[in-house]
Amino acid sequence: MLEPLLGSTNAERVLVFIFARTEGYAREIARVFGGDPDSIQKQLAKFESGGVLVSRTAGRTRLYSLNPRYPFLKELKSLLEKALSFYPEEEREHLVMSRRRPRRRGKPL
Amino acid sequence: MKSIKEMTQGELAAFVQSRLREKGVDVVLSGGAAVSLYSNNRYVSLDLDLVNPYFVKRRAIRETMQEIGFREQGRHFVHPDTQFFVEFPPGPLAVGAEPVKQVNELTFSTGALRIISPTDCVKDRLACYYHWDDFQCLEQAVLVARANRIDLHEIEWWSQAEGKLDEFRRIRDQLTGREK
Repeated sequence: MLEPLLGSTNAERVLVFIFARTEGYAREIARVFGGDPDSIQKQLAKFESGGVLVSRTAGRTRLYSLNPRYPFLKELKSLLEKALSFYPEEEREHLVMSRRRPRRRGKPL
Repeated sequence: MKSIKEMTQGELAAFVQSRLREKGVDVVLSGGAAVSLYSNNRYVSLDLDLVNPYFVKRRAIRETMQEIGFREQGRHFVHPDTQFFVEFPPGPLAVGAEPVKQVNELTFSTGALRIISPTDCVKDRLACYYHWDDFQCLEQAVLVARANRIDLHEIEWWSQAEGKLDEFRRIRDQLTGREK
């Protein structure tokens, strides 16, 4: 969808995923889209060094989110929202409808 | 000219900027080092954030930095004779969603230093406090606000544009030093 603008499929995957889920990490993004985690990681690092994303660590995982101080954040979010609305319904639901509430350890499904 | 070893933070920033300017690379000091300068070193940052507002290629910056003895180490440039290290965050030069309109120029024996204004420096620190609840950033904003002439109305207007007017109202008296 945004590949012609962003220059690569992974760039779009990373931004759309993080917009839809608020934050994410390379392996998780790669799993959802069926891509290569190393390439996704490189793209995440590229967006971070450009000031578009910020990251924090949780245990051994580096979690990325949109940089609230990015000057074009509002416009970027509008663009991503529009792009997401063009995704096939199943894919959009898969991205947006993920469990976010806590799950107690050992709890059966 | 002083040696790099003898340079203060401001002198070093002015020196690096001047050398880059000779090569057509225009950068502006922001971040923690601006807080150090505007708070008369009541807050100390070893990191010199020279924002690269026009997205000049890193190779051009690297060449100049190497000419004056700096070595690239990840995102930073380090020098054996100084504890200060230099970083070139990407542009645009902005505080939150708003572009920085006014850049101040301070004169040092080592050259002219282009630096964000005290008002923008306060906004820059408040952005960090507003978005990440970072109380160190609030403390830095207060140090700069109390040591300099700042435009509080401008900061209020900007806070509103950032959707943080309530937060601004809560900390306003800290900035002005009129705490109850």
